[in-house]
Amino acid sequence: MADRTLPKLLQTPAVILLLIWMIVPLSMTLYFSFIRYVLSSTNRPEWTTPALSNWRGFGNYGYVLKAKDFLFAIQNSVLIVGSILILTVLLGLAIAVLVNRNFPGRGIVRVLLISPFFVMPAVNAVLWINMILDPVLGLQGLAVGGLNSLIDGLRDFPVLGYFFNLWPTLEPISFRATQTSAYAVIMMVTWQWTPFAVLIFMTSLQSEDESQKEAATLDGASNWSKFINLTVPHLGRPIAIVIMIQSIFHLSLYAEIEIVSRGNGNKNLPYLIGEFANNNIGAASATGIFAVILANIIAIFLLRMVGKTLMD
Amino acid sequence: MATITQNSRLSNVLWPTVAWLIALIFFFPIFWLVFTSFKTDQDAVNPEFLFRFTPTLENYTNMTQNYDYWKFATNSVITSTFATLFALIVGVPAAYAMAFNPSRHTKDILMWMLSTKMLPAAAVLYPMTFLTKNMLGIYDTHFLVILVLCLVNLPIVIWMLFTYFKEIPKEIIEAGKMDGVSTWGEIKDILIPLAWGGITSTALLTFIFCWNEAYWTVRLTTFNASTLSTLIEGNRAPEGLFFGRLSAVSTAAIAPIVVLGWFCQKQLVAGLTFGAVK
Repeated sequence: MADRTLPKLLQTPAVILLLIWMIVPLSMTLYFSFIRYVLSSTNRPEWTTPALSNWRGFGNYGYVLKAKDFLFAIQNSVLIVGSILILTVLLGLAIAVLVNRNFPGRGIVRVLLISPFFVMPAVNAVLWINMILDPVLGLQGLAVGGLNSLIDGLRDFPVLGYFFNLWPTLEPISFRATQTSAYAVIMMVTWQWTPFAVLIFMTSLQSEDESQKEAATLDGASNWSKFINLTVPHLGRPIAIVIMIQSIFHLSLYAEIEIVSRGNGNKNLPYLIGEFANNNIGAASATGIFAVILANIIAIFLLRMVGKTLMD
Repeated sequence: MATITQNSRLSNVLWPTVAWLIALIFFFPIFWLVFTSFKTDQDAVNPEFLFRFTPTLENYTNMTQNYDYWKFATNSVITSTFATLFALIVGVPAAYAMAFNPSRHTKDILMWMLSTKMLPAAAVLYPMTFLTKNMLGIYDTHFLVILVLCLVNLPIVIWMLFTYFKEIPKEIIEAGKMDGVSTWGEIKDILIPLAWGGITSTALLTFIFCWNEAYWTVRLTTFNASTLSTLIEGNRAPEGLFFGRLSAVSTAAIAPIVVLGWFCQKQLVAGLTFGAVK
């Protein structure tokens, strides 16, 4: 009897805390999503306090579905998270395979490589959007300017000059426009999370069965076919885990978007909720419920795919 | 035979070089941030002084005047430390029970805990503000930030501890039971010393996550309990005006955690993949 009660007792605080953390705010969101609730209204002051008498049914949901930004925010979320996942996995694989050898200074290479992972998101965004990507003052502006003057200089050469005269003057890209700022976010998050993927893939590569590879070499298998047929399947589980953990973090991406694109129209689902929440709490809550449903679909899919293998 | 040695000699130089290049490319933005922090605001945006400039510590000495850095840094240290501590206090017993006395539901409970991490924070932002501001009156307090950071990280803490505890042979714990050691004694005298490495790397990683958290800490505080995330997010300067001082305060905000990260990067993989990748 005591054998069963005590373990339960030890888990109880954690379970209860997480239950409260999950259920209380979420049920409030659910409630607010069914009523008319705004922060300030001169015409309808009664809507500024949450009350059952302001019941709106599924009205907020209809309003959100019809809002032009809703579909855009979902598409943008998919674009941003999807691109980050694809880029980090591909880059991570490539770099892990390249770096996974013994050479002098390997430890330092690892430390340098992993550093971006520990940079706080706000600093990451500030650093990239200002000091690196700014079209005038950032390194991008300087690099484009340098390239232009280099090409300009080459235009005076006798024969080559003709060729370089065909080149256009390069224009720096502003990463503060709606769509380009989504690319900036993808870039900075990819920079931050690729090292994480590299580290995991490298660890996994080290446990690869070398004798299998040697046998394949003896059978005359090419390097490429060894990579595709032996290494990639071996990396299947780490890839799945990298995707799962990144999804957990990137679905709620916020600081980067906030800093890079405040007010320029670029948004993901969390950011859209934040915008609604400036006044229309009902709509913000309905969007929140949509986001929760979406996250649940993804969570169920990912946990089915990866979660079970974590247990063994 | 000759081609093979040539080949391997070439790859002996080529691959390390490629590896070093990639590492330097990835590290470059951080280097650039630190580098810029030693320029004055004027020099930082002047291409003439891109590499040759008179280094200055001005940005660091003025950090307190310009940004009130120490207040935010102190808040970051306090909230991250206590959140980590509380997460461990709640997490260690839970993970202990799950690892050594699993029930039919243990798997489901662990999965459910992980799934709470996937709930979009934005969905419950307003209720959280409403609850803490209008109902509980704990908005913008250290207590609230510590509580939220602890809850946000609890699932990962329990998962990490669970995977470390699972590695410990059950027999050792059972032997303690035979000798009539109490559960508290088992945890204190057998489990914690044995799993000390795992517990410290869990603590370090949790501390890093707390330090870098940027959603709740920014939105549930206004000034009193604000952490470094708020400082940076609130002060992203109008483009280019203050690159020097912005770099300095950013460097000061990330330096402690990046250095801490260097020390626990080896444990990062085992920790964050929940022991599934070794």
